[in-house]
Amino acid sequence: MKVVFAVCAAAAVAFLALPVVAIFARVSPGTLVAQLGEPAARDALVVSLKTNLVAQALVLVVGTPAAYLLATRSFRGRSIALTLVELPLVLPPAVAGIGLLAAFGRTGLLSTSVAFTQTAVVLAVAFVASPFYVRTAVASFESVDATLVDAARTLGARPWRVFARVALPLAAGGLGAGFVLAFARGLGEFGATIMFAGSLQGVTQTLPLAIYAQFERDFDVALALGALLVAFSFALLLAVKWLRFTSTPSFRFATSTSA
Amino acid sequence: MTALAVALLAAVQLNVFAAASLAEVLPRLDRTARYQFAGSDQLAFQIGQGAPADVYLAASPKYADDLYARGLCSRPVAFATNTVVLIVPRANPARIRSVVDLKRDGIRLVIGARGVPVGDYTRKLLANLGLTSVLANVVSEETDVKLVVAKVALGEADAGFVYRTDVKPVGNKVLRIALPAAAQPTVRYELCVPTATKHPREARAFVRRVLSKHGRARLRDAGFGLP
Repeated sequence: MKVVFAVCAAAAVAFLALPVVAIFARVSPGTLVAQLGEPAARDALVVSLKTNLVAQALVLVVGTPAAYLLATRSFRGRSIALTLVELPLVLPPAVAGIGLLAAFGRTGLLSTSVAFTQTAVVLAVAFVASPFYVRTAVASFESVDATLVDAARTLGARPWRVFARVALPLAAGGLGAGFVLAFARGLGEFGATIMFAGSLQGVTQTLPLAIYAQFERDFDVALALGALLVAFSFALLLAVKWLRFTSTPSFRFATSTSA
Repeated sequence: MTALAVALLAAVQLNVFAAASLAEVLPRLDRTARYQFAGSDQLAFQIGQGAPADVYLAASPKYADDLYARGLCSRPVAFATNTVVLIVPRANPARIRSVVDLKRDGIRLVIGARGVPVGDYTRKLLANLGLTSVLANVVSEETDVKLVVAKVALGEADAGFVYRTDVKPVGNKVLRIALPAAAQPTVRYELCVPTATKHPREARAFVRRVLSKHGRARLRDAGFGLP
């Protein structure tokens, strides 16, 4: 029996790791660095970093209070609101792209002219990535020990102070993990971006779009960009594990008593 | 009836890899094939990587010739020609009346990416016109011509360069702007049979059909020129 489990585990890890290992097997570290110096690669790196930083800042600033509200208040339609927030998690990116065009396109509901701009990339990234943050944030705020919140309130803390000094620090580990997940998802965003923002080097061509544009033109550049994203995502996921670990209940209790 | 069903089941279903601009005309010529429409460059790349194509029809001689040179397909045959046209959304939000208007600031122009046949033809056409400065207004480079058509037909782009044959299917959504004939690049379509095909006989039959009188008539109906 043990053998079956071991074989299955080995097969799963091997299958999932093989394509990743293959990327690095095809490019030596030297050529990897050289290929990243190509203008198309450099431009894509800049566009990706810029749009993702803006998008994630928005997600953080708007998403944190929103998640706090969703976690702490019960109101009519709460589960509908939560479901709507989670929906982009399971929507195919192509549907997200169509939806963004139908909403923000020139002939869309709001008829804006953001399509084909970096703003469109930011919107696409925020749309697909924010649920990862908000969902985790809601769960983190929900798991904050209610007696601590009540204690703060009975000691006369105003709601803002309760949020900023009690709930936020106690949920910080989970918020961090959610943020990193959202960031990783945002960096990989492809489908919604190519439909809503188009693809233009130096403007809207993010790393995944550049990989798509380069893979038939210059496979080495595509591989190098792929390797870069793999390394980045690996580091981010590892960071999530670490953040989750630091937000275990015992640790939380320790911080709350020492604070 | 049963005989027909048996015949249909026994028939080989060909994988036909064809330029996106052939998406309307080919199914009218042969409804039974399984079509893969995309940028000719992308399809050639896939064939080079071992994709199971039985016939390859490209919007430029470049990729079929390259596959032939590498021994990956039969000698290419020219079967159609086309011309590049400028289209704008029917409402024409940027009020474009001639190709020169594309120079205006803030115009949102969508074209094919470099390497995609329509993208290369567009660049050649603009060079012939001495209007390469127009490229500064490009907001997106697409991987096949139908994506350019879609973005203009949707009204998201102010203008796009596509083929003459792309206009008819979206005729109620776009307007065509005339281009000086002298600036036209030569747009030649070529087809070949990949050497790795498992159905060479059926593939050659498909090719004969495209090159037949009937095939040429269908191509002409769709607006293609004939070599």
